[in-house]
This record gives sequence, structure tokens and C-alpha cells, in this order.
Amino acid sequence: MDKKSGGLLRCRLGTAADRLILLLLLGAVCLFVLWPMACILLRSLGDGEGGFSLAAYTEVWQRYRGNLWNSVFVGVLSSLLCTLFSTAAAIFIATRKGWVKAVCMALLLITMVSPPFVSSLAYIQLYGRRGWITYRLLGLSWDPYNCWGVIWMQSISFVPLNALLLIGILTKLDTGSLQAARDLGAKPAAILRDIVLPLMGPGILVSLLLSFIRSLADYGTPVIIGGRFSTIASEIYLQLVGYSDLEKSSAMNMFLLLPAIAAFFLYRYLMGRSDKLAEGSRSRQGRLELSLSRCGAAGIIIIAVSLLFFLMMVLQYGCIFLSGFLKSTKGVYSFTLRNWEELWRLDTATMVRSVVYALIVSLAGTLFAMLFAYYMERRKVPFHSFFDCLATLPYMLPGTCFGIGYILAFNHEPLKLTGTAVIVLANMLFKQLPTATKICSASLTQVPLALERSARDLGGGQLAVLRDVILPSLRPAFLSCFVYNFSSSMTTAGAIIFLINPGKKLAVFKLFDAVYTGDYAVASLIASVIIVIVLAVEGLAYLITWKGGKRRVS
Amino acid sequence: MYLELSHLKKSFGEKTVVRDLSLSLERGELLCILGSSGCGKTTTLNMIGGFLAPDGGRVLLDGEDITAIPPERRPVTTVFQSYGLFPHMTVLQNVLYGLKFQRIRRGEAREKGLRYLDMVGLSDYAGAYIHEISGGQQQRVALARALIVEPKLCLLDEPFSNLDAALRTRMRQELKTLQRELGMTMVFVTHDQEEALILADRMAIMEEGRLVQYDSPLAIYHHPANAFVADFLGLEDLEWRRDGALLKVIRRDTKEEA
Amino acid sequence: MKKLTALLLVLAMVFALAACGTTTDNNSGNNAVNNTADNTNDTAGNEGENETPSLSGTMKVVATSESYVTLFDKFTEETGVTVELLSMSSGEVLSKLRAEGGTPSADLWFGGGIDAFMSAKEDGLLEQVNFDASADLAAEYKDSENYWFSKGITIVGFLLNNTLMNELSLTAPASWSDLLDESYAGEIIMSNPAVSGTNYAVVNALLQTMGEEEGWNYFNGLNSNIAYYAKRGSDPSNKVISDEYAIGITYIDGTIEALLEDYDVTIVYPEDGIPWVPEGVAVFKNAENVDAAKYFVEWLFSNDENLQLLAEIDQKTSVKAIKPTMEGIELGYDTGILMTEDLSLFGSERENILAQFETLMGDKAADE
Repeated sequence: MDKKSGGLLRCRLGTAADRLILLLLLGAVCLFVLWPMACILLRSLGDGEGGFSLAAYTEVWQRYRGNLWNSVFVGVLSSLLCTLFSTAAAIFIATRKGWVKAVCMALLLITMVSPPFVSSLAYIQLYGRRGWITYRLLGLSWDPYNCWGVIWMQSISFVPLNALLLIGILTKLDTGSLQAARDLGAKPAAILRDIVLPLMGPGILVSLLLSFIRSLADYGTPVIIGGRFSTIASEIYLQLVGYSDLEKSSAMNMFLLLPAIAAFFLYRYLMGRSDKLAEGSRSRQGRLELSLSRCGAAGIIIIAVSLLFFLMMVLQYGCIFLSGFLKSTKGVYSFTLRNWEELWRLDTATMVRSVVYALIVSLAGTLFAMLFAYYMERRKVPFHSFFDCLATLPYMLPGTCFGIGYILAFNHEPLKLTGTAVIVLANMLFKQLPTATKICSASLTQVPLALERSARDLGGGQLAVLRDVILPSLRPAFLSCFVYNFSSSMTTAGAIIFLINPGKKLAVFKLFDAVYTGDYAVASLIASVIIVIVLAVEGLAYLITWKGGKRRVS
Repeated sequence: MYLELSHLKKSFGEKTVVRDLSLSLERGELLCILGSSGCGKTTTLNMIGGFLAPDGGRVLLDGEDITAIPPERRPVTTVFQSYGLFPHMTVLQNVLYGLKFQRIRRGEAREKGLRYLDMVGLSDYAGAYIHEISGGQQQRVALARALIVEPKLCLLDEPFSNLDAALRTRMRQELKTLQRELGMTMVFVTHDQEEALILADRMAIMEEGRLVQYDSPLAIYHHPANAFVADFLGLEDLEWRRDGALLKVIRRDTKEEA
Repeated sequence: MKKLTALLLVLAMVFALAACGTTTDNNSGNNAVNNTADNTNDTAGNEGENETPSLSGTMKVVATSESYVTLFDKFTEETGVTVELLSMSSGEVLSKLRAEGGTPSADLWFGGGIDAFMSAKEDGLLEQVNFDASADLAAEYKDSENYWFSKGITIVGFLLNNTLMNELSLTAPASWSDLLDESYAGEIIMSNPAVSGTNYAVVNALLQTMGEEEGWNYFNGLNSNIAYYAKRGSDPSNKVISDEYAIGITYIDGTIEALLEDYDVTIVYPEDGIPWVPEGVAVFKNAENVDAAKYFVEWLFSNDENLQLLAEIDQKTSVKAIKPTMEGIELGYDTGILMTEDLSLFGSERENILAQFETLMGDKAADE
């Protein structure tokens, strides 16, 4: 009797805790996403003097329709090109083994860390009007400052994340399907065309849509290499930095959300359909057994495109690393350690603070994303598609706007957070939440429903399911989520400039400063140091989870 | 002999999985390779199908040495344990897939596909996707897909292991009938004694990579080669009755089943 | 950190000296050194220091660069107020201010084009700072109601990439009107005047000098030679030194002069007039540490020693023009070569001018 009531009590407590967690999650999303967004919306409807006005919208519609079209144009082409690169690179890596695979994976991981602005500057250095490659090597007189430069640059820089996503799908392909096709007489080219590519379909779609939205929100690339070409995102930046016109830039944001939200719902619809396709596949394999060299034209294209991509990445990051040690005197380059010495004397407090902030955001953000994905995907709480869409909004906005939204939302009591570390941390966390949640959801679909049911069947409450089944089985997602969060936090741009407190600078901020004063060498060095730190921390995280995993198994 | 395996060997690293396996089979016969898991039966099947290259020995089919021919050009098809159906294609598209690589006009191929679907009782499901049909139906799609290309040899790797008992019994009958009608030569791998005894024209019993006994089911039943075979088949408890030439029901009263 | 800054400062000054040598050669005709430092009564300016208010806490500063650390270190030494410095462009500051809606997260605004300061005053975001020494400051460089002051003047000129000029066989432009020459098409880069206070000064000053109609005709003509309008103020000089464009319309200060050492570039001071823009200093209204910030303004402008340190950091002599009573520094240029600008039109016309300019730029973009 006693035992029974104790169990009942525990069960009740568990349910209460479960409710509490859910409430906290939804509350946080409302506070840190919905409220700032609402502030932006309100501001866009203001007339600057506290009244209501649609003037900003009419003006934006009349004057910046062209920019919206530019955004969509660049978005479509960038996502197509990026997906082509990602697909080729993913297939290429999945069919390799040994050191080639190791080197390519390492390259993807390095290039996942993309310090703001520096990549674009390296791009100019390599492919500019006087670029090392375009002018000095090939003798071309080409102008990169136009929409094609933006498209090219965006496509390349979005590849690493997409390629890793696609590799994940490829390693989970049903071996049976591939074997069966081969058995029925399909040559490698036919297997690639009929089986591999169609089965990658959902992943390819995800890559397309994510890159499209990312391209819409990207302002850094068009600002630096767009020349006279401007998108909505770069125009928003200009409105903020040049005209300080909050009403207009807020209204532009709302316009930018139109194609972004449309793309998001398309994504949800297509994902819902493709989930069913994945149900049949069970067996897994480490390597895709497919000889690309025997795949005919398609195979050659895949090899060529991925080699081109890896070559460009090696050049770009090589250029960043090298620039830190080069000094140009009247057009003659010489080797120098001067910048390096300068870097050592930069205050270490900034670096340490960056790492600490990034660690906090990565751990908290990863846990948040896991829980959020669980409640949205599995529990299907009421209004889950609304909340899911809401949590995705920060991904669709240029970072600068999300930052302005935070200032608008948190500059008054009782919600006064401006000037504190909390606002910076929250901004990073929620800016990265959409991608982190997607990583966790993808992993969650691999956890059989039966596992969850059996845990409940054996007497575990919702909380026990979460603790004993869901979180442990998200271990692989934890690592990728952590890696993503950490590298994004270390390289976060945009929002931070408006939120940072003078006393609490971050490493990226030093980077901005160096870029702004035109000191590319120092900027490159800071970027290199950030990349090395990120890789080191990620390596450590990998070792810890890997060891932990091993201990569990034995 | 139609199919001849001579001195097949395969090892993975230190572990020898198949040791010096030789056997032969007549056209139109169904061979069952029976053994407990890990005995090397699936490895043998993969060597016949071309998915594994043997370390030694040869595979001869219809007088031709096919040992070095890759699976896509081997006149052999396989029904996989997990079926390996293409989730992004309809039932009919799955069945027709192998015909793409033969010189057959589309219309003709479609007609043939529908005929084979009819044969396995799935005429109504031609347009359905794989996730929309049941496990037994998926099994039949896999079978039709393997048979439609009219291979010289069809391999089946524990095809019924994912089905429930009742369905398994029915599928056995259907497979046997189909095999007879088409005169198809088949190699069937299973660890289920009952299944092997019902289906097989010839039965090969393997243990630890070795072929222990190779004969007709009846002969094995009457004269198990050694204590292992006798024990493995559970012959002491076997009760059976004859119905024409076919074994219909095998009753086994085994204690370990529970 | 301090040592490094000091070292850099010395280095920069050496560069600046060398650079000055070259520039005086270029413009020897115009560079009559102004020796009229007749007002020797500097004690008046120092009176304010006697009544140091009790100050505490930290003062948060948004500045155009972090190089002002030594100046603020001196302030900390003398007052005990710790200073936290953050570099931000004036446009970013203004956006942030507007978003904060009267609860600024910084106390002092140090540097940046004066147009942003004028807008901020209009929006009521600045604090009035009255102090005795303000009477010594030249009236044309400060707000009449003491809402903002100038810490120096930035002038605008051309930066030429000699290698590219030779390669393209271009002759060096000597004046604003030279820039209209068709041979420069696609080789000139300037910043969007909305983003860059100095390039806004170019537009405003030329419009004032040439008059509305002729002025806009000029910019229409210039527009067809401009490759693109950069969205960051430092882009023109950066693009010129990295061999991307032959001619940059850019602010000219010590950092630009220092470039002459490492790069094959030339600075040109247009002979038909140099546009200029004061760099503002102001205190944010409702700031947490308003007192410290207000005192800083007083401290800076009342003591010539402090102004001199500032002049050294900026590598500019223009403080002399701002505070004519100042001793120990001579104006490095003749005020006559500067364009005549009515600063009062800077703020009031800004919106209008930028809107027209946007249309002008947009037409070019649409052609492509």
C-alpha cells in the first residue's frame, strides 16, 4: 500500500516536472524569439513618433522590390549551386576510404568554422580584380563585385554543413537496395541514377531549402563583394548602419520573411513526405560501395566538382592562414612574424571569454535543442507546428536584425538585459537553435518509437522516458549539435555588434576591428586562432563522448 | 550438372567461414542450405551471387565459369533477407527495374511486370509504394522482381524470416508452386529445419563452414550422416505424413521451442 | 598592452612624419604653415580642473577605434574612473541608440562623422555639457547649445594606386573636376555617403560649393566613373592598397599616410578644395555614468595637454583649429585649402541629400 502510493506520488512528480520543462522551453522561446520579433514588427508599423503607420511598408514595397527579387534570385542560384557541390562532395567522400576520406572529412570540419568577413576577403585576394588566381595566375581581367561573386561565394561557404548532412544520409542508405539493384543488372552509373540520388532526395531538398533561407539572410557576403548589387539583407544592413532607419529596416525584415517562411513550410511538407521513404531502410554501412570511376559521365562530374570544391577550400583557408604571416611592401610579399607577436600581446581575457561563452551556449543550446526537438517531434504538444516555425524564425533573419530586436525587446524594466552577458548568450543560443533542433530531430527519427513505448510500459513516466531513452539515444546528435553550436558561437557575427558590452568583448569583435581598420594580416591571424581553438575544443568533445561511449559499451 | 560449386573457400581475416565446399545441382531443382547462424551459409550464397569473391574454388553455372563475373552481369538474382526494395519506387516500378537493363520495349516490359505481379497475387497493388504494403506483400514484390529477369539461378537468403508463422507456411507453398511452374533453379538459405524439409529437392547441411551432409531431404531424414545432423534436425521428435510426393506437415515436439 | 600601444604609437608617428614629408612636397604651394599662435593665455582653459567632482564606477565609451586607449588611461589615472572602450561606426551607434529608446548602454560617444551627432541631437539622445572652457572652442566646430563638440577634423582626398595608374596609363587626377574624365571609368571607388561621414561631407560640401543644380550634375557624371559605392567607410582605401581599384575617395589621416610606407600609393589633396568633416564628441542622455562622461568632455577640452595627447594619437593638427587658444601645436595645413562648408546645413539636409543620392546610385545599379 505504502509502496503503491509512493509510486503514485513519484509518477505525479514526474508528470509535473515534465510539464514544467515543457513550459520553460515554450516560455523561453516566446520570450527570446516571439517577443523580439513582435518588437521588430511593432517598430515597422510605427511612424517614428509613437503613432501607427504603414508608410515604411509602402516605401519598401515601392523602392526595394528589386532588392527582394535580387535576394530570391541569389537565393535560388546559390542554393542550387551549393547543393550541387554538397551532393558531389558527399558522394565523393562516402565512396572513399582510408586517408583520402580522412583528409576530406578534416577539410569539411575545418571549413565548417567560417569566421565572418575573412572568407570573403580571402575570396577577393584569390579571385578579385587583381586576385592571385584570376589575375596573376590566369591573367583574367574579371570583376568579382557583382551578383555572381555573391552567388559563388555563398555557394561555397554553405557547402560544409550541407555535405555533412548528406554524408549522414548516405551512410544510412539501405545496403539491400544497392545490392538488389546491382544484382538485377544495374551498372554503377544506373545505381547512382536510380537508387543513390533518389534516396538522397529528401536530404538534397533539405540542403536546397536551408541554403535558400540562409542565402536570404546573409548580408556579409553582398556587403563585402556585392559591389553595386544589393539584396534585401545587405540593404537592411545599409539602412541600419547608414540611415539608422529602424522602421524601414524592420519593414524590410518582414518582407524578407515572406519567401523564407514559404520555404520553411515547403520544407516541412516535403520532410513529412520523405520520412515515410526512410521507414523501410534498416541496415547501415560505413562506406557506400560504388565505384565512381565506373559511373560514366555522372561519376566524372562528381569527382571533378568535388575536387574543384576541395581545391578552392584548400586555397581559401590556406590564404587565410598564410595572410597572417605575409607582409606586402610595395607589391613584394615577404614572410613576417610581426603580426604573430602582435597577436600574442592581445589580451587573453577576450579569447578566454569567447571560449567560455561559446561553451555555455553550446552546452545549454544543445540540451535545449534536444528537449525542444523531443517535445515538438515526438510529443506533438499542442500548437507544435506554430512553435517549431517560431523557433526557426531567427534562422531567417539577418543577424543584425535579430540583434536590434533584442535591444528593442530588452531595454526596459522588468526585462532589462541590455549590457549584460545574458543577452549575448541568449542571442547566440536562439540564433543557432533552428539548426541545432533540426540536427536533433533528424537523430530522433532514428530512435524507434517502440523503445519509448517499452520504457513507459515498464512503468517509467514521461520524464523517465526522456532521461533514460531519448537523451541517451541522442548521443551522436549531441556531438554534432555541440560542434555546430560551438563553431557558430565562436564566429557569430551581426547581432553581437549591437549587443556587446564595452567591457566584455569577444574574439570575433577583435576580428571586426581588424577588418574594419583594414589590417587583413591581423584579421587573418585572429581567424586562424579561432579556427584552431574551435577544432581543439571539438576534438576534445569528440574524445570525451567517444571515450564515454566506449565505457558504456564495455 | 547445371550448378556446380567446387572447392569454395572464404575467410575473413583469421576466421575461416567456408572451408572447401563442393556441391552440384540439376536444372529446375531447389537447393536448401541449412545450418545454424554463423555456419557460413549466407557467405556461400554471396559467393554464388557474386557479392563476395571466393578465396579459392570456382562457381560454374550452365557450363560457364562465373566466378569472376560481377553481380550485375551474372545471370543470377537474389531475394534478400531485408528484401532491398526501392522505397522511392512503386511496386510495379520495383518489379520492372531489372528489365531496364535488358533490351525490352517499355510496353512489353509493363505487360510482363503485370503478369508477374499477378503470379504473386499483387495485381491490385501495382501503383502502391513499398511502405504502403504489408511485410508478406513486400516479400512477394522482392520475389517477382528477382524472377522477372528470368535468371538462370535465383538465390533466396532467409526470405521468410521476417514473416509470422502462418504467413510463412503459406509463402512456402506459393514459392514451391512458383518454382515448379517456372522450372526455376533456386538456392534457398535458411536456419529453419521445417522450411528446408518442405521446400528442398536437395538439402545441404552446413556446420562451421563445412558441408556436413548433402542429399535429398528424405535421404537425410532416413540416414542422417552423423549425430550432429540428427540432433540439428530434431529427428527423434519428428512426425510426418505423406501426401502424394510432397511433405505437407511436419510436426515437431521440441522442448527448446519454449 | 600599454607597452605595445606605446611602441605602435612611436612607429606610427615615424611613419606619419615620413608621410608628411611627401605630402608637403606635393602641395608645397598650398601648405603655408600657419604660425599665428598668438593667443598665449592658456590658463583660462585649465581653471575647470580645480573643481574635480567625485567620480566613480566605469565609463563606457563607443569610439571609432581602440587606439584612444592611452588617452582614456590618462583619464583613469587622474579620476579613478575605469574606462571600457568599444569601437563602433557612427551609424551603428545611432541605430543602437534609437533601438535602446533612451536607455543607452554607453556613456560617451567619441569620434565619428558629425552628421550622426546632429541627428542624435535632433532625436534628443544627447546630453548638454556646459563647461567654462567651451567658450574657448571655435564656434563653427561645436554645437551652439553644447550638445556635441569636435575632437578633430577629418579631411577627404584621393588615394591613388601607382601601379594600377601606370598599368592603365592614367594621369593622376588633381581635382574633383578631373575625376569626371572618362578614362577613370570603373576605376574609382567611394563609400556610400550614408555609411561614411567623410564621403557624406564630400557630397554636402560639393553641393554647397557648386550649388544644387551643378552639384547634382557633377555627381551624376561622377557616378558613371564609380565602380561601386562601398558599404563600409574603410573600403576605398583598403581596395586601393590591395590593387583592386586605382582611385579611392577616402578620408586622409595618419593611418592613410602610414600606408605610403608599405604600399605604392599616392595621396592627392584635390586642388579645387578639400571637403572636411568634424569628428564629434558627445555624452549620451540618460546614460548610467553621465557625470563621468560629462567630466571627461570638460577634462579633454580644458587641458591642452590632453588635447595634445589626442592630437598625437590621431596624428592630426586640427585640434588647433577647434581650440585656437591652444599652445604647443601648430595647424599643419592652411585653412584656406578647405572648402567653405556651412555645418548647419549638414544635419538638416542629410536625409534629403542621401535620398537623392540613393536614387542616383540606384539608377546605375538598374543599368547593369
